[in-house]
Amino acid sequence: MIMEKLKVLHVDVGGCEGCNVSIIRAYPKLMDLIELDISYLRKDECKLDEYDVAIITGGACMNEPRILEELKEIREKAHTVVAFGSCATFSGILRFCRGGQEPRPDHRNFQPINSVIKVDYSIPGCPPTPQMLQSFFKFYINGDERRLRLFKVSADIKKLSGFDLIDDIVLTGLCIGCGACELSCPTNAIKLIDKRPNLVQEKCIRCGTCYIRCPRASQILSMGGAR
Amino acid sequence: MMSVSENLLGNVFGIYLARATDEEILKRKVASGGAVTALLAYALEKGLIDGVVTAKRTEGLEGQAVVARTREELLETAGNKWSIVPFASRMKAKIEEEDLKNVAVVCLPCQAQFFGQMRDFPLLESDFGERIKYIVSLFCIGTFAFEAFLNYLRMKHGIMAQDIKDIVLKGDFLEIYHGDSVLSLPIKEVYSYLQAGCLVCTDYTGTWSDISAGFVESERGWTVLITRNLKAEELVKSAEKDGYIELRDGSHVMGEVLKAAREKLARAQKNMMYLL
Repeated sequence: MIMEKLKVLHVDVGGCEGCNVSIIRAYPKLMDLIELDISYLRKDECKLDEYDVAIITGGACMNEPRILEELKEIREKAHTVVAFGSCATFSGILRFCRGGQEPRPDHRNFQPINSVIKVDYSIPGCPPTPQMLQSFFKFYINGDERRLRLFKVSADIKKLSGFDLIDDIVLTGLCIGCGACELSCPTNAIKLIDKRPNLVQEKCIRCGTCYIRCPRASQILSMGGAR
Repeated sequence: MMSVSENLLGNVFGIYLARATDEEILKRKVASGGAVTALLAYALEKGLIDGVVTAKRTEGLEGQAVVARTREELLETAGNKWSIVPFASRMKAKIEEEDLKNVAVVCLPCQAQFFGQMRDFPLLESDFGERIKYIVSLFCIGTFAFEAFLNYLRMKHGIMAQDIKDIVLKGDFLEIYHGDSVLSLPIKEVYSYLQAGCLVCTDYTGTWSDISAGFVESERGWTVLITRNLKAEELVKSAEKDGYIELRDGSHVMGEVLKAAREKLARAQKNMMYLL
């Protein structure tokens, strides 16, 4: 049986292009499984009226009605919406946007995609690696709900960061000192001191990777309880 | 919809009772059949892996991450683990220092979850999941907040950390081997000295592993092995074929493993009400 390729749309609503590059890097190994409609590979408008999966990168600027409309259009076109990267999932570093800053002083407030539309899977990471996207499609195509559960649950969460890890896991006494968070922080904001993580607040870009990687936190999340 | 047992034990490919055939391995083991050590010795000697990363008890209940590349080094690490070290970061350092390409990790369910998630979902460029070939998780009822536990042993029972030789779970009792004698403690009494994070943990066997290993009361002297995928199944079967382990079907102990898993889940649910 020849499987029809998944029709996948990628849209970037405003970020640093790191996630886009990751998607492009992932594509050569995904070509047998998906047909990717991405702005780098087409002239102007997106090609189709319907897609199996839409991957959205970047955070939603709430001061740009055009972006909000575009997101709603994508939701109508796509069967499954995946927020890819920390800006799209938890708003990441865009949370620090406060207007009056170059190059876009008009950008005052960013929110994760799920503040605007329903998201099916949230994959954080700043940026997530190409291998992550390949893994995602492998499990998605196989219908492996168990493996994707963490990302499904994350799709309903608007904010996750080192701060939340400290609040929810360390200050509640649930930390077991395994050091997964320290290894997962892309900015070295977390250091284990006396077997417990310590957060250098200025360094945390709110990407959420540590929270997703903490065995205790991810176990509690994937058990299904809302945070 | 996942079934209850799938939720509790994760994906079960096969369940076996296994025992090392090597006298040297059996001699060092107290609780179980030494099958994990034998399996890993097999994988090392056949060149399936180039190292095993695990924890080794140093003094008292402290542990450190070590790499074993030979059967001898592996034997040194055998035994129960009752404390947790900042293992993930030290482990990465070990793998990179020694430039290991194919490792087996022996760890607890929480660590298996971290390694499993990292291997399945490489979120970071600095991840090393592709170097981890086998994740072996040990059945776990929790790790001690060991300062508190050692303090309790010293104050209440006069046992000093440096005199503890081994800690073994036997039925509802925890046996502390110290000096020349053994102290038997009801497991309920020591629960409060487990880390709070372990008291809310729902994973008994390590659902993110390739192989889970532990023991059940009714089959002492044998290791229960749960294989979770084809790769793990092949390792176990070929280790049997080459005479490293004895293997029996273990479906009759499934109920016992489920019971222990259910108890850990119930404990977690109860504790979550207090702690979260």
